[in-house]
Amino acid sequence: MSTVAEHAAPVAEHRATLARVLVAVRRYLLPLLLVVEFVVFTALSPQFLTAQNLLNVVTNASDLALIAAGLTLVVILGGIDVSTGFAVGVLAWIVGTLLGGAVPPALVLAVAIGGGVAIGLINGALVARLSIPSIVATLGTSAILQTVLFLLWGSRDLFSPPVLPALSGQARLLGLPVLVLIVLAVYAVLQFVLSATRFGRSVFAVGSNRDAAVLAGIDVTRVRLICYAVLGGLVGVAACTYIGRVGVVQASSGNELTLLAIAAVVVGGTSILGGEGSLIRTLGGLLFITVLQNGVVLAGVPPLWNGLMVGLVILLAVSIDGLVVLVEARRSRGLS
Amino acid sequence: MNRLVLNRLITDRRVALLVLIVVAFVVMSLISPYFLRIENLLSMLQYSAVVGLLALGQTLVILSGGGGIDLSIGSTMSLTSVLFGLVAVNAGLTPWVAALVAIAAGAVLGAINGVLITLLNLPPLIVTLGTLYLYASAALVLSGGVDINGFDRDGFSVIGQTSVVGIPFQVLVILVPAYLLVALLMSRARFGREVYQLGSSALAARLSGVDVRAVRLRLYAVSGALAGLGAVVSASWLLNAKSTAGTGLELQAITIAVLGGTAITGGVGRVSGTFLALVLVAILNSGMVLAGVGSTVQIGLLGAVLIVSMLVRSRARAKETVS
Repeated sequence: MSTVAEHAAPVAEHRATLARVLVAVRRYLLPLLLVVEFVVFTALSPQFLTAQNLLNVVTNASDLALIAAGLTLVVILGGIDVSTGFAVGVLAWIVGTLLGGAVPPALVLAVAIGGGVAIGLINGALVARLSIPSIVATLGTSAILQTVLFLLWGSRDLFSPPVLPALSGQARLLGLPVLVLIVLAVYAVLQFVLSATRFGRSVFAVGSNRDAAVLAGIDVTRVRLICYAVLGGLVGVAACTYIGRVGVVQASSGNELTLLAIAAVVVGGTSILGGEGSLIRTLGGLLFITVLQNGVVLAGVPPLWNGLMVGLVILLAVSIDGLVVLVEARRSRGLS
Repeated sequence: MNRLVLNRLITDRRVALLVLIVVAFVVMSLISPYFLRIENLLSMLQYSAVVGLLALGQTLVILSGGGGIDLSIGSTMSLTSVLFGLVAVNAGLTPWVAALVAIAAGAVLGAINGVLITLLNLPPLIVTLGTLYLYASAALVLSGGVDINGFDRDGFSVIGQTSVVGIPFQVLVILVPAYLLVALLMSRARFGREVYQLGSSALAARLSGVDVRAVRLRLYAVSGALAGLGAVVSASWLLNAKSTAGTGLELQAITIAVLGGTAITGGVGRVSGTFLALVLVAILNSGMVLAGVGSTVQIGLLGAVLIVSMLVRSRARAKETVS
C-alpha cells in the first residue's frame, strides 16, 4: 500500500510539471514564434524590417484578416466555413463588373456586403435550420460558388480599379493606411461583442454545449444564422479589398484565402471544437502566417514552400493543443 | 410483413440510387446517341476508377465516427503520384516497384493523419486540413511543379490503357476487387463489425473491448494507401505523374460517400451504397461531357448533389424520430 503511494506521488508531481510546462508552451508559443520569425527574417533580409515592408504586409493581409475575423465567430460556435474563398471570388467579379459600369463606389460596397450576407445566410440556413454538418454544407456551397465564378468569368479576366481609396491601402490617416485602421476597428468591435455582450456569451454557450444552450433559453438557430451572416458581410468587404489589392478577377480568384483563413484562426489558438477563442488570438495567428509568407519570399525561398510551412504550423499548433488536453485529462484522472 | 419489406426498400438509400441510375441512364441515352456507345461507357468507367478508390477510403474513415473525415486524400494522391514519378523516372526503377512505393507511401501519409488524430485526440477535420496543405505543397516542392513522364516501361500501361473482356483493366482488376474485398471485410470480418460499432458509439465499442485507436489508425492508413493506388492508376492511365493529380478529388470522394448513404456522423452506411453513388456520378459526369459542359460545371453540380443528398437524409431522419 505504502509503496504504491510512494510511487504515485513523484508520478503525479511529474505530470503536474509536464502539464504546467505544456500550458506555458501553449500560451507563449505564438508570441515566441513571432519574435523568432522577426529575428530570423531581419537577419536574412535587410528589406524585411522596414516600415514600408511591414505596412505592405498588413495592408495586403486585410482581406484575409476580415474573413478570419468572421470565421472566428463561426469556429467558436463549433462550425467551419470552407466556402469563403470562392465567395470572395464571386463577389469580387460582381464588384469589378459594377465598377466597370460606373456604378457609384458606395453602392458597389453595399452590394458586395449584401451579397456576402446572402451567401452567409444560405450557409447558415443549411447548417442551422436544416442541420447539415457545416463542413459538408460549405464544401457543397464552395463547389457551387466555384462553378458560378467560372461561368461568370467565362475565359475573360476582369481587370478593375479599387472600389474606394480607403479599401485599397492608398488612403492614409496619421501615416497609417485607412484600410488597416478599418480592419483593426472590425477586430475591436467583434472582440467587444464577444466578451462584453449577451450575444457574445451566447456564442460561447452554443459552441461549448448546444443542448445546455437550448435549455438556458438561447435561440441557437438565430445565433448561428447571425454569425454566418456576419462572416458573409465581412467576406463582402474582403471582396472589395481583394480587388483593390489584386486588380484582376480570374477563374479561381480568392480560392487561396479559404484555408489560410482557417489556418489563421486555428494557429491563433481558437479551438476548432468550439466554445473557446478570441479575435485577439486570430490576429496573432494572422500576423504569424502573413509575416511568414512575406519573410520567406524576401529570404529567397521559392514560394512553393509556403504551403509546406503553413501546413506544418497548423499541425504544430493543434498538436500542442491536443497534448495539453491529453496531459490534463490524465492528471485529473490520476488525482481523482 | 409485406409493408415492412416495402418500407425497408423505400428507406434504403441503395434502392433510391438504383432507380436514379436507371433514370439517368435512360435520359442520357435519349438525349445523346453517343451515350450508349461502347467507347463512352468505357471512358466513363475509366474516369470512375480513380475517384472510386478515394471514395472507398473516405467511406471507411467516415464510417468509423468521431468526426472522421479525410480532407487530405486528394493531396495524398498528388504526393504519391510525384513519389511514383521520382522513383520510376529519376531513380530509374521499374514502374511496378514505383507503384508499390507509392501505395506504401500513401499508407504512411494516411498513418500520419491517423497518429495525430488518435494519439493526440485531435479533430480529424483540422488534422487532415493541415496535411492537405502539407502534402499538396510537398508534391509541388518535390516535383518543382512540373509533370513527370517517361515511365511507360515494362508493360506498366496495362493498368490504365487495356481492357479485359471489354472492361477497362483498372475497373475489373483493381476497382471492383477493392470494393468486393472491403465489402466482404465490413460484413463478414471482425474488423468490419468493430468499425460499425465504434462508428455508432466509440464509448460502447471501447467498453466491449475494441481497440478504438488501432482501428481508426488503420482506417486512415488504408485511406492513404487507396489514394496511393489511385495515383498509380491515374499515372498508368494518363502516362503522366502530375503534382496536382488529386487536387479537388477530396470533395468528389466525400460527395460520393455521403451520396451513397454514409452518415457523416459515422456508424451508418455501406460500401455497396458508395459503389452505386460512384456509378451515378460517373453517368452524370459523362452526360455532362457529352453535353459539352466543362469539368468546372460538374464540380458545381456535385456540390448541389451533395447538399440535396444531405437534405434528403436530414428530412428522412426527422420523420423517423417523429413517427
